[in-house]
Parts: sequence; C-alpha cells; structure tokens
Amino acid sequence: MTAADRERRFLENAAIAAAGTHAVSGTGELLATLRRVVTADSPVYCPGVTELEKATAALFPVRAADYGAAAVTVEEVFGGVAETGTLVCSSEGGRAVQAGLLPSHHVAIVRRERIFDTLDDLFAAVAGAPPTNLTLVTGPSRTADIELTLAIGVHGPEKLDIILV
Amino acid sequence: MTHEQTSLAFRENTVRALEDSALRAAMKQAADTFGTKRADAFAPVADLEALRDRASAIREDVLANLPMYVDRFVASATRAGAVVHRANDAATAREIIRKILADRGAHRIVKGKSMVSEEVDLNSHLEAAGMEVVETDLGEYIIQMEGETPSHIIVPAIHKNRRQVGRLFADRLGVPYTEDPQALTKIARKALREKFLSADAGVSGANFAAADTGSLVLVTNEGNGRMVTTVPPLHVAILSIEKMLPSLADLPAFLRLLPRSATGQTITSYVSVITGPRKAGDATGAKELHIVLLDNGRTEILAGESRDILKCIRCGACMNVCPVYRAVGGHAYGWTYPGPMGIVLTTLLTGMKKSHPLVDASTLCGACVEVCPVRVPLAELILGLRQRKVREGFSDPKEMRGMALFGKAAASPTLFALGQRLAGAFWPVVRALGGKDVAGRMPAPSKTSLRRRLP
Ligand code: SF4
Repeated sequence: MTAADRERRFLENAAIAAAGTHAVSGTGELLATLRRVVTADSPVYCPGVTELEKATAALFPVRAADYGAAAVTVEEVFGGVAETGTLVCSSEGGRAVQAGLLPSHHVAIVRRERIFDTLDDLFAAVAGAPPTNLTLVTGPSRTADIELTLAIGVHGPEKLDIILV
Repeated sequence: MTHEQTSLAFRENTVRALEDSALRAAMKQAADTFGTKRADAFAPVADLEALRDRASAIREDVLANLPMYVDRFVASATRAGAVVHRANDAATAREIIRKILADRGAHRIVKGKSMVSEEVDLNSHLEAAGMEVVETDLGEYIIQMEGETPSHIIVPAIHKNRRQVGRLFADRLGVPYTEDPQALTKIARKALREKFLSADAGVSGANFAAADTGSLVLVTNEGNGRMVTTVPPLHVAILSIEKMLPSLADLPAFLRLLPRSATGQTITSYVSVITGPRKAGDATGAKELHIVLLDNGRTEILAGESRDILKCIRCGACMNVCPVYRAVGGHAYGWTYPGPMGIVLTTLLTGMKKSHPLVDASTLCGACVEVCPVRVPLAELILGLRQRKVREGFSDPKEMRGMALFGKAAASPTLFALGQRLAGAFWPVVRALGGKDVAGRMPAPSKTSLRRRLP
C-alpha cells in the first residue's frame, strides 16, 4: 500500500465509522483545525506531553486539570489502522487511555507515519510485549440495545474527531 | 434474584412466547435487521471462506491442546502481574469472586456484559452477600431492572420494544417517559456514570484470552467494558477456559469475523487488550487484576463427541438465522444460552435430564451452519444429542411407540395404504378427543395420497 492509499483508506474507514476526519500538514494547520473542532468554552484536557500536544497547549483558554472534569480530551494517540479506520490508544509511557473515554468529545491527533496497513501489522508490532492497556477505537461509543436502533454516546464519547498530521 | 432453569418446559415456554405479540414483533424486526446487516458487512470481504477456515483451524488447535494453552496463559498472565484462579464449577467461581471482593471491602460493583457470569449466576450470589451489583451494558441494565435474564447473547434485551423500556425507565428512575432510543440511552449514561465513578470494583468477562501474552481481549461498543476494566481500583474478570487463543497475533482473524457476524459491523467501537494490572509508571488499568478461569464441565465436553461446540466464539449469528429462535425468542430455551449453540451448550453443561426437550428445538435446516464464522457443525452436534437422548431413554414413550409403528408401516406399501385409510376414517374421532392440542395444530389427512396424485 502506498502512503497516499493508506492515508485515504484510514480516513475513509474512520468516516464510515462516524468519526470526524481532518488531514493537516504542519503545526499551523493543526492549530487552525483544533480551533474549529473544539468549542471555545469547553473545559479541555490535554496531557501536554508529546511535541504535538505541547504545541497545542496555548490554544485552550479553559483547561481541565484531569480528564474526569473535562468536556473534551485533546491528545496524540499511539497510531491508527487503515483497514478499519481505527485509532490505537496505548498505556505505554504513562498515558491514561481512559482520558479518551470519559469526556463526551475525543479529539485524537495521529501522525501519518504511525498508521498501520492492517490489524495484522498492528498486532505483529505489539504482540511481543503488549502494554498494560491497548485500546482500539473505531468511531464514537454506540449501542443498538433498544430495538437494534443505533444510539451514539453511551458510556464513551459521543463525538470523535481524528486529525491526521 | 436466582433464575431457575426451565428448559424442561420448553414446549410450554414456546406456546407462551408465540402468544406474546410484542415479543413476536420484536423478534421479527430483529431477524430482518440482523440478516441484512450481516450480509452487507461480509460483502466486501474478498477471501471470507479462507478467513473462516483459518479461524476454524486456530480454534481446533486450541481445543486439541487446551490444557497446554491454559497453563501457558496462567503463566503469562501471572508474569504480567495478574492473579489467576481456577474454578472447577459454578459454585467455586462464585465463591472465589465473592471472597476477592469481600476481602477488599468492595460493596459497589459495576459489571460489564459477561455470559459466563450469567452461567454461574454470579449476581444473585454477590447480592446475597450484601453487595450492590450494577449491570452497565445498556441491554443488561434494562433486563436487570426488570428482573429478567438475557434473551440473546449479544443483544440481551432484544425481546423488549422501546415503549416497554420507556415505561420501565419512567417507573424506576423517575424520569419523564420517552420512547426515543437516543434519549433513553442518555438517561442510562447519566445514571451509570455515577456508578462507575463510585464503584469499588469492576467485574467483566472476556471474549478472548491470549495464551502467549496473558492478555484479556474485550470486544465492545458502548465503552462500559472500558470503564469497568479501567476506572475502579479492582478488576475481576471471569471467563471459561475455551476462550484461549494461542497468540495475540491470532486476534485479527477473529476481529474480522466476530463483529461482522454479531452486529454486522466491520469492527466494534472498542477492542480492549488488557495485559496485567497497572504497573509502575502506568496511568491506566486497575491496581489489582484477578482472572477467574471457569471449567464448569468444559474438560468433560472436550473429551466427548460434542467437543466442537467449544470452538464457538459467541457471536450470536446462529440464533439470528434460526427459524425456531426467531419465532420463540431466547427465554423459551430456559437457560443462559439460547438458539442453536444454546441447545448444544445447555444440554452439555446442565445435563440431558434437565434439558432434553431442547434437542428437538431445531429443524436441522442448516442455516446456523452456513453462518457460523468458525464452522461449528451445529446440525451434526444437535443430531448427535438427539441420538444420545434416545439412548439415554429421555424420549417420550408415546412418540417412540408411534415411530416404531410408523417404521413398520412405511416399510410395507400395503400396510402404509391401510394406515392412510385408517387415519382418514378416524380423523373426526382423533380431533374430538385431542381437543385444543390437535385442532388447528395438526393438518387433516388428505383424501388422496401423494403417491396416487403423482403421474
Ligand atoms: S456457534 Fe458459531 S454462529 Fe453460533 S454463536 Fe457460536 S460462533 Fe457464533
């Protein structure tokens, strides 16, 4: 798969799973996109650890000290899978994977070079020494438990935005 | 609440189910939705048969070497920091879990969806010990509130319509009545969020367990599975021993098959791979992880002629296509597992004596075999159990005598023709004596036999 194919498939499949998708290049565009997707007055949790997270830190006027109190989590995640449009969140390096679970809006930043072609590629890479928690996220939280009718945002986020950098 | 097995009353259960028009409407809608979604989801998969072959071969390898994989899992999970417990039967599993929770003073328990915990009737045991147990999967939450058991292994409240759920929530939660599934979902989210944040422990099941890494895999949509396993300080997982996969690298094949077969999704919203508890430097995971591996008769099944049922990955596809399940719903089967896989598993786990009417609850049409992603030979297994039922003397003696007579008559054209004439002549008597059981349920004998009508 060429890099362009991989990127296109990742974004297409994520959109099918009802995620908002954005492809940007450079920090400038990343910040502009974040300004659009994050509502101005929501308390934002951003771990501020990776380079990209640090770059976004100044952007949010209302910061939540921890994800429990946040309406939005903005974070860089471990990677993605093109086959299914999936985000890969890992507890490696002291990351709180549940930060992307509790707030009702999850904004995930993924680097292009962290996209795996298939689920096999991902698991071949992590199966040797998996982290404590590896969570694959495809679209927002959903259920069809009442009359098999789709409802979005059960216990996890009702909105998921993916920004590919 | 303890739920007694009612499989012996299967026939009575089906009569009641067939009279329940709300249930029939719900089952009909479900069957149609499942059918199209599943077909759509598999349509783009190019090498589906090869994928099923591979998944089936992996499951066969697991069964052929189960004790080895279980030992390997125990070693890997222990190395990762989990505490692994082995439970031979349901009572032992319940007691192990009660003790883990009680020893740590845990009172408020949030639960993720787990059919194995239903199998061992965990909730009633924990509640009897004074604990509050809250089911957090939306479907499970609904039926727990109603005091029912699941009627489907994937969509537990499939037998209920939106109006019933709306009235239930209005009654029990004191919220204004609504029948909008999205609004009802929001109500449950709010009520359950408080439970998650104040819980002392989370109890979950697992879809798979990777022997090489000691990882538990949970395949979910709502996010409650993630909450249960990461928010409370203590996580107890219960799973049956056959959930093993040799390696975490085997998982992709199953991630491609399970959600498509179950709900017609390419993949579920969430797949959690949990390897041990929170370690130094981690900010995710329960501080303590206990894994309870349940046997409850599996080792015995493994040694017998029905062992292939243990390949099952609990996708529910076989029940969605089963003409019997689609007509009567899951409760009629009278125990945890309904539908074709349920017929086999219930009979094996609870014994022929408690469940023999179930083995007749199939037309052997083979629809289940056609959809099963891991090629469990359900029709063959059901047929095998029917033979066992006869061998073990659980058949209805009247039916046996009738069949013996029919066998003799069918072998002789003269006798057969005589029988046909007698049936016609005595039909009014049979109808008068049989009453409600016969009238309207049994067709009247035809005046001319099929053989005569053929050119
Ligand atoms: S027997 Fe096959 S179709 Fe039925 S639940 Fe198990 S895996 Fe699915």
